[in-house]
Amino acid sequence: MLIYRGLSRISRISKKTSFGRRWLPSHPLLSGASHSAAAAAADSSVKVLGCREAYSWSLPALHGIRHQIHHQSSSVIELDPFSLVADELSILAKRLRSMVVAEVPKLASAAEYFFKMGVEGKRFRPTVLLLMATALNVRVPEPLHDGVEDALATELRTRQQCIAEITEMIHVASLLHDDVLDDADTRRGIGSLNFVMGNKLAVLAGDFLLSRACVALASLKNTEVVTLLATVVEHLVTGETMQMTTSSDQRCSMDYYMQKTYYKTASLISNSCKAIALLAGQTAEVAILAFDYGKNLGLAYQLIDDVLDFTGTSASLGKGSLSDIQHGIITAPILFAMEEFPQLRTVVEQGFEDSSNVDIALEYLGKSRGIQKTRELAVKHANLAAAAIDCLPENNDEDVRKSRRALLDLTHRVITRNK
Amino acid sequence: MVVAEVPKLASAAEYFFKMGVEGKRFRPTVLLLMATALNVRVPEPLHDGVEDALATELRTRQQCIAEITEMIHVASLLHDDVLDDADTRRGIGSLNFVMGNKLAVLAGDFLLSRACVALASLKNTEVVTLLATVVEHLVTGETMQMTTSSDQRCSMDYYMQKTYYKTASLISNSCKAIALLAGQTAEVAILAFDYGKNLGLAYQLIDDVLDFTGTSASLGKGSLSDIQHGIITAPILFAMEEFPQLRTVVEQGFEDSSNVDIALEYLGKSRGIQKTRELAVKHANLAAAAIDCLPENNDEDVRKSRRALLDLTHRVITRNK
Repeated sequence: MLIYRGLSRISRISKKTSFGRRWLPSHPLLSGASHSAAAAAADSSVKVLGCREAYSWSLPALHGIRHQIHHQSSSVIELDPFSLVADELSILAKRLRSMVVAEVPKLASAAEYFFKMGVEGKRFRPTVLLLMATALNVRVPEPLHDGVEDALATELRTRQQCIAEITEMIHVASLLHDDVLDDADTRRGIGSLNFVMGNKLAVLAGDFLLSRACVALASLKNTEVVTLLATVVEHLVTGETMQMTTSSDQRCSMDYYMQKTYYKTASLISNSCKAIALLAGQTAEVAILAFDYGKNLGLAYQLIDDVLDFTGTSASLGKGSLSDIQHGIITAPILFAMEEFPQLRTVVEQGFEDSSNVDIALEYLGKSRGIQKTRELAVKHANLAAAAIDCLPENNDEDVRKSRRALLDLTHRVITRNK
Repeated sequence: MVVAEVPKLASAAEYFFKMGVEGKRFRPTVLLLMATALNVRVPEPLHDGVEDALATELRTRQQCIAEITEMIHVASLLHDDVLDDADTRRGIGSLNFVMGNKLAVLAGDFLLSRACVALASLKNTEVVTLLATVVEHLVTGETMQMTTSSDQRCSMDYYMQKTYYKTASLISNSCKAIALLAGQTAEVAILAFDYGKNLGLAYQLIDDVLDFTGTSASLGKGSLSDIQHGIITAPILFAMEEFPQLRTVVEQGFEDSSNVDIALEYLGKSRGIQKTRELAVKHANLAAAAIDCLPENNDEDVRKSRRALLDLTHRVITRNK
């Protein structure tokens, strides 16, 4: 993508002309006596266009010029996070497509489903993972550098891309298996032939993806990573089962709901972020920060999802698809509303096959602060995610900083999106 | 290992591990015997403490392989039953019939993930790769069975490949894993692999015969479940070589039970059953040969285990249920 390449060029230029730490020793102006001046100015920092602070070394005389250059580059840097990784994502998508389609002709329709899922949500998960990989100081290899260093960097990047592919395969496998219908569902008018073939295809396609994920995982030759992602599969299954088999008390419990949400939505992203960190050879502390980012981002995402199911693209209630409540799935807004209006619990326990109960629940929800409280909780988690990024070890590499800004940007988008 | 946080999931996963329905634990038996046969002795309390501890640890890891193998196997059974809309398995209601398709699928996934975690804990990436490949083979084999073209269904090569994937791959690769954990050479690992592979193939071929003959020597007394599900096995494939007309019947399919009768007639006239048995014997002998090629060992436990493994190659052929 042109813009992305243009960016790298600009950032390279700004590296050459800026007076960042790396450049300092060799510049004629800074040799000898001027060193002390540089040291004196060491603490000054510049905030440009609301960006995080730039280089802390600067000479007062040249301050203005550097400010100008940095200003120029940052205004182009404020990009959509998804475009930052768009190139890589296409490579991933092509690889995934060839892995899935090649082997089994009959699974072609399942593969199509897979790619529809990939397009939806702008391939959110792989985007986060690729950004995280860069943010943890693994640079997309550039051809100008030393061959060996380059090869190592490329290999690591490939392994981290592999994590993103594995994550997508696990995610889609779980979606396919979740679609397996029980007999009860066929009585709601779904054709029996489709039911049989649909189930078979769903199970087989899901197993196929899972087995591919297993083999890919094994090829990474990192047992900690294998454990992390195997645990994710276990969590996905547990979360789905929790959703299917709740008792009445559990359905009305916020704790149970948050635990289930962690298993079903956040575990995949949190553990794969952690895997990215581990592959990069980061410390345990950094790995935990990556984990925390993923977990809180995932939770925030799901909470807003819950709200949107009620509100849709408008701010008002009842304009969303209402699919959760119609399937009897009790989400955060209703749980909060129940705290304010215990009578709502009776309605919930009756179930929502009767659509008049849906209307009653919406009424209570409207009177309550359920929607607002859910948004507030989402914001809280988004902030925790942002905090995790802020705690990452300092790094002056421009790509690293860009990625970290993009990750922060995502924590805003997750909250402000309305579809 | 299959205890889960969610009670329903736990009971689903435990379903086939209940006492009485484990199916004689054929695979774990083979694996534990193989472990001993490759000179990893069951630790005795009289020996030096350190040597003992190492031996115990290795044995534990190899037992883990056996456990993982069972989990992978049961997971594949759970999913296969959903695919087949099966009512019964091992004499009791199949899980999907009793608890619903979705729970059966989820339980299978759960077992698979537990197997993966246990695999990772062994910290041996070659072993992880081996058993991950098994999972892929199981899926491929099942897919091959479900999605065959007409030519493929009538091809002996295709059938043997599918049988390897569906039945023999699990046992061959886990035998190899046992050898690798024991620190054996690549040659010994390959012998272990060959034993497992040929034993598995022999087992399946006899299984195919028994589906037609049951406990009697005569035809049509078996459950005939393969042919009724449209699954064409070795006896029919051999019969088709002798009687090409049989192929037309096969292509028509077997939903019409009169076609089953016609096929049985051809089968009876042919040497299909005998040829399948002969092929099974051939593979059983290859398995026995692999054991004979193992490096000499005078330890009595090792010799006993190897004799037991040889004995299995006979039982696999002579069983009639």
